[in-house]
Amino acid sequence: MYVYIYDNFLRQKNFLSTIHSMEVVLTDYGIAGKILRLQNYTDSKAVIEDEIKRGAKTIVIVGNDATFGQILSRSATCDCTFGFLPVGPNNTIAEVLGIPVGIEACTVLSRRRKEFLDVGWMNNRYFVSQLRVMPAKLEVIYDERFKVTAADKMEVIVCNLQPFFWKKDKKDTEQRVVHPQDGKLEAFIRPLTKSSWWGYKYEEPSIFPFEEMIITGKEAFAVEADGKLSKEVKVKIKLAHSKVEMIVGRDRKF
Amino acid sequence: MIFQRPAPKNIEENNEPEVNELSRQHVQDEVETVVGPSVTVEGDFASEGNIVVKGTVSGSVFTSKHLTVEMGAKIMANVRAGSATIAGEVKGNMKIKESLELVSTSRVVGDIDVKNLKIESGALLYGKITMPGIESGEKSVKTKLFKKTEDAGVQFAS
Repeated sequence: MYVYIYDNFLRQKNFLSTIHSMEVVLTDYGIAGKILRLQNYTDSKAVIEDEIKRGAKTIVIVGNDATFGQILSRSATCDCTFGFLPVGPNNTIAEVLGIPVGIEACTVLSRRRKEFLDVGWMNNRYFVSQLRVMPAKLEVIYDERFKVTAADKMEVIVCNLQPFFWKKDKKDTEQRVVHPQDGKLEAFIRPLTKSSWWGYKYEEPSIFPFEEMIITGKEAFAVEADGKLSKEVKVKIKLAHSKVEMIVGRDRKF
Repeated sequence: MIFQRPAPKNIEENNEPEVNELSRQHVQDEVETVVGPSVTVEGDFASEGNIVVKGTVSGSVFTSKHLTVEMGAKIMANVRAGSATIAGEVKGNMKIKESLELVSTSRVVGDIDVKNLKIESGALLYGKITMPGIESGEKSVKTKLFKKTEDAGVQFAS
């Protein structure tokens, strides 16, 4: 039995026709199911567990990267198969999973090609797409073996499913894309240097693949994981192998 | 003839390039470890893939693949790698499985154990070089400061 969780932004008029067409295609494939709408204060884990008790086997997330991260970061431990129907802008994870944006995603969903995805774990909660530590004076210890520091502040971005785009400099027309999901988490460290009187400038990122990492700072620093912001003094990040069973496409990046 | 099924060969031919493209993309997308210009690494620095050092590393460095030390980078550590290209500064012993290339801007202080060695004109080297294939009587060639060697490359009789 399929249960579809729609994000709140899909109520907008410009998405109505796409949603309607998708519902028709899903009915044709015989995989239409119950529709639930995500509100601002909905606890997705409680909702999904309720539906699993009622017999749901597949939970399908309908929305964008933010929807995907918000639901899976809380519900990674639920015993079900997850699907994803990307709709609208801000959909980078869909490309990594090999799922086209729009109506064609229904075809991928009907094929039920399943893969177990690795999930990041940070201080007692999971993150699926990306974790970002805002620029601060930090010290990063990798796999309890070596330590990475910078001269001044640095920003740390840990990618799981959401790829990280970065430009070498202003003249660089090609945006470099690094696709993660290779059994390790990738950390991108971007130090900031004060090159002129008007402020800081980002330097070229360092890239470190890892399985376990500890970030510490003398002062509390802001951490954003799958859209959820918090302030921490110490963050432990690990990779949880094969945590989430997901329906993916043939053109996936792993 | 009109209702003849399409030949299966076409489907196989269409599938093969996709598989090759996927494997090629996987090779291109293999993530290498990069140490940026103003980043300092301390400890046992190891990676399963290629390593590119543009900053400072102290402790030890290990990779089974390729190590690149760019100009301006400093390694104050013992190094073990499959192969390496050095354009920066290395203070420590180096054990390279296959080939080592010292570019003109490289400065190496330490012993080197390597199979194939290439030294460009302008490279500075202080240490002992050990290479396999030489008889026990002529085990090692002690080298002192090489300044502006005329010919590129060091060749030993195999």
